[in-house]
Amino acid sequence: MPERSHNGSGIGCSAINGMTTMKHKIIGKPERRVDAWGKVTGRAKFAEDYGVAHQLWGKVLRAEHPHAKILKVNTTRAKQLPGVEAVLTAKDIPGSQMFGIVVKNQAILATDRCRYLGDGVALVAAQSREIADEALAMIEVEYEPLPVVSDPEYAMKPGAPLIHEEGNIFVHHKVRKGDVEEGFHRADFVLERSFRTQFVEHAYIEPEAVLAEPGEQGGVTITGSVQNLFSSRRSVAAALNLDLSRVQIVQATLGGSFGGKDEVMTSMCCRAALLCLKTGKPVKMVNTREESMLESYKRHPYMLSYKLGARNDGSIAAMEIRIVADGGAYASMSPFVTWRSAVQATGPYVCEHVKTDVYAVYTNNNYTGAMRGFGSPQVNFAIESMMDELAEKVGMNPLEIRLKNGFERGAVTATGQTLDHIVSLKEVLGKATDLIGFTEKWNRYRSASDQEKKRGIGLACSYRGVSLGAEGVDAAETMVTVQTDGSVIVSSGVTDMGQGAQTQMSQIVAEVLGISMDRIQFLNTNTSRVADSGPTVASRGTIMGGSAAKDAAERVRATLLEVAAEMTGVRSDDLDLEANYLIQRNGGRRLISFQELVAESFARGKPLRGVGWHKSPATSWDEDEGKGEAYFTFVYGANVAEVEVDTGTGSVYVLDFVSAHDVGKAINRATVEGQMYGGVAMGLGYGLLEDFAIEDGVPKQLNFDEYLLPTSVDVPPIKTIIVENEDPAGPFGAKSVGEPTNEIAAPAIVNAIFNATGKRIFEIPANLERILLGHALTRPGKRGSLQKDAEDTLLVESCKIRPSTA
Amino acid sequence: MKPFDYMVPHSLGEATSALHEHGETARLIAGGTDVLIELRRSDAITPEALIDISRLQELKGITSSRGTIELGPLTTHAEVCASTIIREQAPLLRAATITIGSPQIRNRGTVGGNIMNAATCADTVPPLIALNARVTLHSVDGNRECDLAELFVKPYRNIAHADEMLTVIRFSPLPVNGRSAFVKLGRRNAVAISRLSVAAIIVRDDGGIITDARLVPGAIFPTWKRVTEAERMLVGNMPSAELFRAAGNKVSEVMISYTGRRWSTEYKEPVLSVIVRRALEICCAATGEGGLQDSYKGAKR
Repeated sequence: MPERSHNGSGIGCSAINGMTTMKHKIIGKPERRVDAWGKVTGRAKFAEDYGVAHQLWGKVLRAEHPHAKILKVNTTRAKQLPGVEAVLTAKDIPGSQMFGIVVKNQAILATDRCRYLGDGVALVAAQSREIADEALAMIEVEYEPLPVVSDPEYAMKPGAPLIHEEGNIFVHHKVRKGDVEEGFHRADFVLERSFRTQFVEHAYIEPEAVLAEPGEQGGVTITGSVQNLFSSRRSVAAALNLDLSRVQIVQATLGGSFGGKDEVMTSMCCRAALLCLKTGKPVKMVNTREESMLESYKRHPYMLSYKLGARNDGSIAAMEIRIVADGGAYASMSPFVTWRSAVQATGPYVCEHVKTDVYAVYTNNNYTGAMRGFGSPQVNFAIESMMDELAEKVGMNPLEIRLKNGFERGAVTATGQTLDHIVSLKEVLGKATDLIGFTEKWNRYRSASDQEKKRGIGLACSYRGVSLGAEGVDAAETMVTVQTDGSVIVSSGVTDMGQGAQTQMSQIVAEVLGISMDRIQFLNTNTSRVADSGPTVASRGTIMGGSAAKDAAERVRATLLEVAAEMTGVRSDDLDLEANYLIQRNGGRRLISFQELVAESFARGKPLRGVGWHKSPATSWDEDEGKGEAYFTFVYGANVAEVEVDTGTGSVYVLDFVSAHDVGKAINRATVEGQMYGGVAMGLGYGLLEDFAIEDGVPKQLNFDEYLLPTSVDVPPIKTIIVENEDPAGPFGAKSVGEPTNEIAAPAIVNAIFNATGKRIFEIPANLERILLGHALTRPGKRGSLQKDAEDTLLVESCKIRPSTA
Repeated sequence: MKPFDYMVPHSLGEATSALHEHGETARLIAGGTDVLIELRRSDAITPEALIDISRLQELKGITSSRGTIELGPLTTHAEVCASTIIREQAPLLRAATITIGSPQIRNRGTVGGNIMNAATCADTVPPLIALNARVTLHSVDGNRECDLAELFVKPYRNIAHADEMLTVIRFSPLPVNGRSAFVKLGRRNAVAISRLSVAAIIVRDDGGIITDARLVPGAIFPTWKRVTEAERMLVGNMPSAELFRAAGNKVSEVMISYTGRRWSTEYKEPVLSVIVRRALEICCAATGEGGLQDSYKGAKR
């Protein structure tokens, strides 16, 4: 049974979202974002805004072939060009030429071989961008092209050309529970379905940029659009043979990341630092959009085969799942991404017998890595489609089948973990479907007369492990320093890339210290000023950085109350900090202002600096057995999409949407809602539009003219439902929201398309052709407008620009 | 991008003189929504000079007199959308123009630029051809005029000489009993390139019989043309679902006769037929101004 009744049908989302706990002053309030003012006035400094006198421009020469031996690189002519200060190749790297978080096989600059078109072959630093470009064109590289492996299934075959010496299959995660053969034997029927997903571009609005400056005492300082500063710093230090203490990476205000500014930024940081140390001058590097799309990693395309055994009453007996992920040219985060997929592949459903195998393989495509969702959107698309197929087979509706099989408290997951927290799956399902009238619409649309434009409604839900789980050590630092005038500086190893981490942490500090938000100044992360806090990924910003912020603020608070007790003679447990005052709890009398209390503390020589550290509860994983306590807690979400399908053209319009998520506790309701809006928009693009097509290792689009994102008029009004079941694992009960909001929009939409048309989409994006014809169409070669001198261009498939007098 | 000269003529005379002198190696720039994107492409051929004509007031504006509408080529898409003359007398041009790009693109991009760029997906061209538009090309040697449909040679290529520029677009208003529609199919609701489009005008007599039919599809032929084969099927008949379906199928048939079967034909053949039928349905619907009702979701938001 649901932990909380969801009989709130008819309750508007504002009412649901309006529930705030009275005990908090600032937590839960839609406080203005601490970064808002700078961003709306244009004062925020993004990486490209940084510049210093005498800086050089760094540029990268990238590979000409997706797979080739590099026989010779001749930089002589380029070096002679006036204005060129350095032309470097891998040979010039003094330390480690390779980096990689799990498998160290990604080259900062290709040595003897290139493995995808984004590989860097040589670097130039010159006095201007134009000279640098000119110099790149003067570098002569001799290649011996090798067979290109672009299809992961082919890459797995014996005898396929090897991308790396250790073999093309570089990850195999398994999950084992019970005995699937026995499970299928006991099932009344078995459903087998295959699904495919596509490469997806992060599409952060700000392309990669850094400024590297020589350190005054040696070393290097890098200011850049970096998501995971500590891992980037580790690689720079290793490449340049420097101590970590001599490499300082300062986070510029980030123009979006979505998991995308990790390895691609590490590589840019290493290259800029190398040019900087070789020339002794500051070096700036900025990718154009085309360079960014060519080089950056993408979301993994998956091929998923699901075999599901069930009984006639709709209960699931067994699931056998095989997944192949295209890892592209380098390992990157694939081992972790696919591990999350393995853990969550069966969805939030009770299943006694599970056998899941997930493989990641090398190809000559863009490498694939972290992206918001991190291995969940693919499996959620598959399992949520399977659940609707199962419902169809046994004559239940999508809500019934999910309530029949969905997790409750005490359920045992596919990895054998018992869910010992408030499992709110059925609560979010109930609230989301009630708000939009799911069942009534689902029945009505299903039996609607046969018209050209059809309505449909679809449902999807998920459970998601919070933070890194058994990926590795999970700890973070946040520091709170009170100034003598009572203002407060906060800094953290958790980075803000637009998701609002700084605001959440500021609210936590303000709550604990009883001060208003305007007293707080949040500094961007600097690797030399805060401890290595791991990467800001896995929706761990609030739960990890926030917990550390709470810890830090509580340390300061304890000191302040100790001083206050001495000053006032009131016992410290009868004192509190509230609204910028010290108050006496008993009676609520204001004693002195926060500022005066701070001044008194300094006068007494008490330190008002709190260093907060938070380490997550233990998790475990047995790779051989395929079992473990994968994550220390989970979040639950449900999405409902209502669509109109134009069966004459294949167009799909999303008309209405409900996003319901249990976030534990909303530290800032506006930010949580913002995450929901953005997550749904991104998921809508994933389900209907976005496709980073790569043909024989060559990306077919390198800008947003052809890589189509949803625009503001493609995104419907989104109704949000914030469910709050406070979890002791997080600060004030808060868990996660960033990624869950993104992972189930696509299957909700695809299920709605099925409700409308009776046809299932097994491969996303569900574009015009797939809706109308049931399969995609592929344009051979480039589009018409780029076939510049093709005299026989009879027909232009899609077009843009062309000189009228060409 | 290589360096280039940038010239800003202050009159039509200065512009044509500059073209006369530099035409072979220069490019005209108006709103820049095509040219600027083209210039930053790594494989682009950089012109030696850009002649910025965007300040030439004499090439802007919309006027109507004695049964002819005259549209200055530097009129922006946003100005077309806001024009009462266009709304009342050429609603299908408005319906098409409002689907172009985004508000920012419509504020910068011009009708003349859309025409001269000659992309087969140019959304202003099908309605203008349906309205029997003629254009004037001007150079220091004088003017020459032609039907808009005759301006185009092939995709991205028109008949203008290097020293000529487009100075006038003239077209007839929608006929008195005429109704029109523009239906466009893109992959999303804004900033979408026409995958297929059609401009349609239908004139009926008092008894409801179709007396004039004009059908101009976009993004399917290498240059634009009216599909007279389908128009002939309509004229002389009463509107009917059957007739519209047949006319739609005819347009698809004509498309294939021109282009052959290509990778995209499997999709375009049935869908072109559908959007032509829908355009005809809009033209003959009992109510509504024709054009916007069904044409394009993005335009309505």
